[in-house]
Formats: sequence, structure tokens, C-alpha cells
Amino acid sequence: MMLKRIIKPTIFFLFVYMRMAFAQVAVIAHKAVPEDTLSQARLLDFYSGEIKSWRNKVPVVVFDLKPANEIRELFYQLLGKTPSRMKSIWLKKLLLGEGDPPAALESEEEVLKKVAATRGAIGFVGKAKVGGEVKIIVVIAKKDK
Amino acid sequence: MLRFKSSIVAALLSCGLSQLYAQPEGLNLKVFGYFQVSFGYRKELGQAIQEKSFSLQQLNLFLQKDLAPNWTAFVNFEFVNSYSSFRNWGAQKLEEAWVSYRRGEQFKLKLGLQVPAFNNLNEIKNKTPLLPYIIRPLAYESSFNEIIALEEFTPTQAFAQAHGFIPAGKLKFDYAVFAGNSPNINNDPRRGQTGVDTTKFFLAGGRFGIRTRNLKLGISSTFEQVDFYHVATFLRYDPSQFDNVPRLRLGGDFSLMAGKWHWESEYIRVTYDDDHPVLNFDKEFYYGTLGHEWSERLFFYTGYWVTRENALPVRDMDLLALTAGAAYNLNETISAKAQYGRVLFETSAPVAMEGKSNYYFAAISVVF
Repeated sequence: MMLKRIIKPTIFFLFVYMRMAFAQVAVIAHKAVPEDTLSQARLLDFYSGEIKSWRNKVPVVVFDLKPANEIRELFYQLLGKTPSRMKSIWLKKLLLGEGDPPAALESEEEVLKKVAATRGAIGFVGKAKVGGEVKIIVVIAKKDK
Repeated sequence: MLRFKSSIVAALLSCGLSQLYAQPEGLNLKVFGYFQVSFGYRKELGQAIQEKSFSLQQLNLFLQKDLAPNWTAFVNFEFVNSYSSFRNWGAQKLEEAWVSYRRGEQFKLKLGLQVPAFNNLNEIKNKTPLLPYIIRPLAYESSFNEIIALEEFTPTQAFAQAHGFIPAGKLKFDYAVFAGNSPNINNDPRRGQTGVDTTKFFLAGGRFGIRTRNLKLGISSTFEQVDFYHVATFLRYDPSQFDNVPRLRLGGDFSLMAGKWHWESEYIRVTYDDDHPVLNFDKEFYYGTLGHEWSERLFFYTGYWVTRENALPVRDMDLLALTAGAAYNLNETISAKAQYGRVLFETSAPVAMEGKSNYYFAAISVVF
């Protein structure tokens, strides 16, 4: 009986905590990048290819996620652009010879691995997946309706 | 012993050659491009004239290579209107071949054959995957080359351009300044080497603009000198009076995004300072297009486009186009497009005439 009183609330608390964690997206960067936080405008500049290097002149390497899921949707909401609008921006850069679209990776695990291993890299994953191998520079929380 | 020495020499040579041609990682040659295939139908109202035709409207092939950090080379070959040298159809040209140096977002320098920045559409007018149109706003539509003096409205080539943007809070100030040849390129082998500017003056121009997340506006201008020898000859005037006539282009562009609605508009005015009481070659163009992103894949638009051209006392012509269309992204690289246009033209010289045509187009645009 005592055990039930402890276990049930604990399970409920863990469930709520995990749901909160899954609703959060972390924008991550390689540990050596010189900035610890980014504004929405600067993040959009990186992801649209307007700015190609960090303040210490190291090239920005931008990673995207291929699957269209909640994580990607939340990230694009932060950028304030629809996926089709971002595709137009990247296509324009490509056809004007000004750069390539971000590499779109198959999974969040791959994003974590690539960002941890690539100097100047930036990407986004679910916050619950982030360990100590990368730096979190922005956290986006999903607004409940 | 000789065979051994030969083997050593061969091994050393191959190492040297492989080092010479080895490509550092990330600096590989990229080959990509796009094409647009269309079907068009034109019916002149009140007349029996109608035309219908398939066409490989445009094909562009790009080569790009990052030569070194901050240095990029880019080449663009263009083939238009079902190009065939065998049948003498269409045209092919080297549209761009430049090298670019980037020193941050505030300064980039592009050297070589390029399309200069002028208003919103000039740099991308031939990049059909970027545009929902099949037929572009009139002053930018290359297939109207025989009806409209396109090269008078917008600068088509430059050879050096410095450009970039300066961020200021939520604003970005864009700038571009460029230089190129004047339009008096020699096309007559009897007058010497063709493709060479025969005037003493170059094209100079630029665009300055402001951008925010959803708004973009700018002003553009070019200045050059042209000769009107062909006009003088036709009208039997003294050609020396039409040497180095100043031509000034002024342009403005305004684009706005509000939710899923897009508005794009431009204005261009071309004036000639010829000091002649009879001649008037001034031109004007403006357009406005309202678009709506119905979904991630589907985009609708409607537009109002006008050109006013003078070539007095020989002719003048006004063209007005009302258009509507849609573009649907089948996937990330293929789009289907449809467009309707009602085009009215009016002339008052040499004789007063008017006509109306309906245009119907369908197209597929592919990026590869």
C-alpha cells in the first residue's frame, strides 16, 4: 500500500517530465564555437546562408533534419519561415552560386554526432537527446494550445 | 637495373601528378542545373491568328567549384527556345562565368561575366525554378525579345560587382555597385573584332535597398552612353549628332510578405538625353504581382504588367498584361506550372493600332 502511494505519483511525475522534455528542441553547436547563445535573427542568418562564419572567422557548418517531425516543425517555427520558404531561399543561393543548402541528416543521433565532430557546426535535436558532447545555445519549448 | 630505375621514375611521377590533381576534401566541382519545358497557346482576339507549340523554354547548366576558402568559381551555360544549331532554332550563350571573393557578409566581389543586381528580378529572371511564372513580367521575358526592346529596360551584363549587406538591428542594408560594357558591342566583323565595346564609356550602376524579415525595397540605377547610328541612318540625320547619347535607367522595387500573402512590384524608367526635338526613346515598365501560398506545395498569383515604349518618330507601343497562374511543387526538384495571360497592345505611331491576345501556358520545371 505504501509502495503504491510512492510508485504511482513517481510514474506520473516521470511521465509529465518526459513529455515536457520531448516538447523541447535544443539548438546545439560544436563546443568550440565562440557564442553561447544566438538570437532568432542570427540563427535565421546562419540557416539561410546570409552569414557563413562565426565571429572568430571559423566557417559555420549548418545541419538540418530530413524527417518532417515535431522537432523540425518547432525549429522552423522559431526561424519564422515555412519549410517551403526556406527551400526557396536555399535554392536561390544555390542558383546564384552563393552556397549550398544545409546538409539534411537522417536522424537526431546523426545530427548530434556530426555537430560534436565538426568545428563550427550547428544543428537542432530534441532536448532530451543532448548529452555533454555539444553545447546548447537555444532551447525552444512547444507552446501548449 | 634499367627496369628498376624506370619503375622508380614512374612511381615518382605518378605521385607528383596525383598531388597536382588531388582535390582537397570539400573543393570538388559541382555540376547542376535546371530546365523548363512548356506548352503554349496564343489566340489573337478578333483574328484568325493562333499559335500552339511545345518548347524547351530554357535549360541552364552550372559548374561551380570552391577554389579556396572564400573563393568560388561559377559558370552558367544557357540554352533557350528549343535550341538547335541544326535547325537554327533558339539560342545558346555563356550567361555567366565569374569568380567571387567573400570577405564576410558586408563585402563580396564578383569578377567576370555576370548578371548585375538591378531591382528585385534582374538577377533571377532566368532562374526559372525560383519563379512561379512561365511567362515573366514583360521587361524580363526573353521570348518577347522581338516585340520589346528588353536590353534597353534592364542591364543584362556586368563584369565587376561589389555587393553585400550591412546589418543594423532588425534591418539589413543591401548594396551592389557594378561596371560593365556599354551596349554598343560590335557585331559587324567588317568593323573589327566582334563582341568588343566600341565606345569610350562603360556601364555603371547599382542597387541600394533595405530588408527586414518580411519586407524588401530598393532603388536601382544605371548610366551609360549609347550611339544611335542606326536611328540616324534610318531617319537620314547626321550620325555624329547621335554619338554617345546618355542613357539613364532608374528602378524601384518593393516586396512584402504578410502571412501566406506575397506582394512583388517594380518600376523602371529609361530616359535618353539626346537633345533632339523630334526623337523620343524613353521607356517605362511596371508590374505588380500578388501571390498566395495556399499550402506548402501550391502557390497562386495574379499580376498586372505594363510596358510603354517610345521610339518616336518611328513608333510607340504600350503593352498591358493581366495574368494569373499557379505553381505546384510535385517534390523538391520538380514543379508544375500553369499560367493565363491577356495581353493588350496599343500603338499610335506609325499608325494607330490595337490588338488583344489570350495566352495559355503549362510547364514543368526541373532542377537536377
